[in-house]
Amino acid sequence: MIDFFLILSVGMCVLVLFCLYRGTFGPGVLNRAAGISAIGTKTLIILLLMGVIYDRIDMFIDISMAYALLNFIGTVVLAKYIETTGEA
Amino acid sequence: MIRDSQDVIVKTLSRLLVPFMVIYALYVIMHGHHSPGGGFQGGVILAAGFVLLVVSHGLEQTRKRLSAKAAGVLSSIGVFIYAGIGALCLLLGGNYLDYGKLSKLLPVVPAEARSLGILGVEIGVALAVMAVMFTIFLVIFTVGEFPEDDRSEK
Repeated sequence: MIDFFLILSVGMCVLVLFCLYRGTFGPGVLNRAAGISAIGTKTLIILLLMGVIYDRIDMFIDISMAYALLNFIGTVVLAKYIETTGEA
Repeated sequence: MIRDSQDVIVKTLSRLLVPFMVIYALYVIMHGHHSPGGGFQGGVILAAGFVLLVVSHGLEQTRKRLSAKAAGVLSSIGVFIYAGIGALCLLLGGNYLDYGKLSKLLPVVPAEARSLGILGVEIGVALAVMAVMFTIFLVIFTVGEFPEDDRSEK
């Protein structure tokens, strides 16, 4: 069962690379913001899978919730900045 | 400058999210000695709630709830709670931040006094971190044109 979650986490790490490509070379600021936000969401899932692997899911839930909140706020602040400066 | 945006989605979502965020921050502070978290992390999440409020509802609405002057006072109060609990242990005959000595004041055994002492320290740290984070965010986000609390002083 541990192997299954390990393979799942490695798969998520590979998916992060695709999002990183979109975040680095993506045409325009909005594509980059979406890529970075998707990386944050995938990191959240990887954190939870790590929690399952280490059998401490109760601890990792707390960390992942804080991570999700800060990721959401980061995206909103970035969108606000783009709206204010008129880039994109 | 931060303008008051008319975005319905962001406004509604943040209005729904901020109370849960504050509850979660209080949970992180209170369970700091059982689970990941503590004063600093809880304070950062509290400050994140205020940041979300600034971004979604504008600066004027947020300043009604937490002005820059109040943030300064709160940060000082947080440091005062931390140092005060430490000095109280010093006065009661222990080392600095030796919470076990607090059992002379509280009607509990020393082991429980240690838990309550670290909780008090974490509340102080959370207040200080929240106020300082909020102030830093305001100063950066307003690009130095930091609006005074009372314009009539100028």
